Amino acid sequence: MAWGVGQYEVSDRTRVAWEVGHDEIDRAIGAGSTVLAGLGISAGDRVLFTSMLSEAVHFWPLVLATMLAGAQLSCADAARGEARRVRMFTRLLAYRAVLGITPAVLDGLDELGADYTDVLGRVPVIGARPGAYERLAGTGLAPHDFVLAGPAVAIATEPGGPAWVNRDEWELDIDDGWVTVTSRRPRLTGFDRVRTAVRASVVDGHGLVPARSWPDRGPRP
Amino acid sequence: MTGLSPADSPYYDAEYETMSRDRLADLQLELLTETVAFAYEHSALTRKTWDAAGITPADVRSLDDFTEKVPFLDKDALRRFRDERKDPYGGVLCRDQSELTAISSTSGTTGDPTLVPEVWGGGFVGRPAIMYRDFWGMGVRPGDHVALFLFTFRGPTYGFVQQLGAIPVLFDYGVDEIERLLRCSLQYRPTALYNFGGSMINATEEIAARAGIDPRDAFSSYHAVVFAGEPLGERARRLADAWGIELFEHSNVGDVTACFECPAHDGMHFWEDMAYVEGIDPLALDHRDAQPVSGDRVRCELVATALSNRVAPLVRFRSDDLVEIDRSPCVCGRTHARIWTIGRKGDEVVVQGASVLPVDVWAAIESVEACRLGLFQVVRPNRESDELRLRVGYQDTPEGRLGSLVEEVADAVRAAVGVEPVIELVANEELLRLGPPHKIPRVTAR
Repeated sequence: MAWGVGQYEVSDRTRVAWEVGHDEIDRAIGAGSTVLAGLGISAGDRVLFTSMLSEAVHFWPLVLATMLAGAQLSCADAARGEARRVRMFTRLLAYRAVLGITPAVLDGLDELGADYTDVLGRVPVIGARPGAYERLAGTGLAPHDFVLAGPAVAIATEPGGPAWVNRDEWELDIDDGWVTVTSRRPRLTGFDRVRTAVRASVVDGHGLVPARSWPDRGPRP
Repeated sequence: MTGLSPADSPYYDAEYETMSRDRLADLQLELLTETVAFAYEHSALTRKTWDAAGITPADVRSLDDFTEKVPFLDKDALRRFRDERKDPYGGVLCRDQSELTAISSTSGTTGDPTLVPEVWGGGFVGRPAIMYRDFWGMGVRPGDHVALFLFTFRGPTYGFVQQLGAIPVLFDYGVDEIERLLRCSLQYRPTALYNFGGSMINATEEIAARAGIDPRDAFSSYHAVVFAGEPLGERARRLADAWGIELFEHSNVGDVTACFECPAHDGMHFWEDMAYVEGIDPLALDHRDAQPVSGDRVRCELVATALSNRVAPLVRFRSDDLVEIDRSPCVCGRTHARIWTIGRKGDEVVVQGASVLPVDVWAAIESVEACRLGLFQVVRPNRESDELRLRVGYQDTPEGRLGSLVEEVADAVRAAVGVEPVIELVANEELLRLGPPHKIPRVTAR
């Protein structure tokens, strides 16, 4: 029986339903634990996830890995209207990481007149999605790339470095500038060079560096 | 975990859902006694509030003692404590911070969201209740698909679906996801949908037509479609009826528990082994002059006490919600009380002596075609006002026709409440941005 049905985006931004099995989720939790440890997240830390419910298949393994690490977690939608919640969390509590920041959340902070550095400046690890990365880096923050490449989650272990997917599970390639994903282990839904909605360069078959859309004005790192 | 009863039982937990009122009262007193002792010992705000009232848990030996002697808490008290003591949990956390698994938050419709500390797998005493009993009662069974159309701020809500042995199909709460919901409904044939409110139902009509999907086909597998957050207008009910949808209303009960309609659709049950719920005179200043409203289906203010929460239990939490409560047996066989929500006490505006709540103008606004999503706000700088100011969302209207649209909306509202309104039109998108995603603040100071 399936764990659930999520979605991933392909290159024309269409959302494709994606059925995932319990064993796939279990494997992803194990890999997620390694990723979080690499980001320095351990017992007593806090992690704030900004995601959408349809992304739960991507995020749940990281959520559970956070809990297994003995760290605490909070959740907000990765949406414009949730910027107030993100700001409330980081004002009241100290977070080791905020993972999954999107351009929409930053649009919401802009609407509130909130400075990105006031909201996120005390957070050591900021995982920013394409489009948000550039805006945060432009204010002097040092985000990590955090990319949903189709069904795979890619997270950079250091600011400015490539974002890595789990190499045991996924193989990345490029098709006309778009990242493609191939599954390497049996899954309820198999993937064979599926073109994702991510434009990037690929590193060693399991890392990616997103193509940047720098703002027209302002500093670039 | 699946049902505690056989799959053909309408009850997930027949013993608890249908227990006699006498046995329920005994169970509540037992749980209440434990709760107040626990909260007084561990919650700084509860202890401060009780000390100020000159009582201790030893003074509470009966349900009557509780209602006569125990002071109220409210959201302002939590926010005040939070700000004064620099305590992010508002003084209600009863565990060491290091024991927490998650820190979620309230919706924030009526102000800044407040933190909700959680201990997964160890934060509650008692038997599985909220969502489990409700969705089982709606007909969800192991192996089913359940469509979740939700936000994430409450945490991983899909867990209850998996615990029921069902498979969640996951969607974001928003108009952009409706077409995908319809397509996935045809593909996976879910038996329940949670949570699909009035604006989403209204928007579905147009989206389904554009996508060439008949909503009757898409929704034909559903036993239940749950809506929450806001009342459902006439238009949405008509559409749901036309599409063969059986709607189940759901609501929050004073930030302490939740309530859902059962298949009898005669009020929303809350599980009384989870919460002790009282109705009081909405005009009461404090617990000393709060007359209990004990009659069935009499308008009152809801006060709730958590009975099973062992992380941050709220004791006598005054909700500001106007409700009606009925403790008589339901035809579904469940003995737990039912509730009807009327509105928020703080939402009332008195215009030229006439009381107006958002619910009073809702149907009028959504009866206007360009305002069919029913998105609006009452602009209420003060409770009493010389004019009824409404900010109303619209769509599909060129700028040159906005003047006549204002008149059309004003006519409909005047006919509904007998007061001449002042209408400000804004695009629907402007109002939707004000979220939280499942509802917008219906009353605003400016």
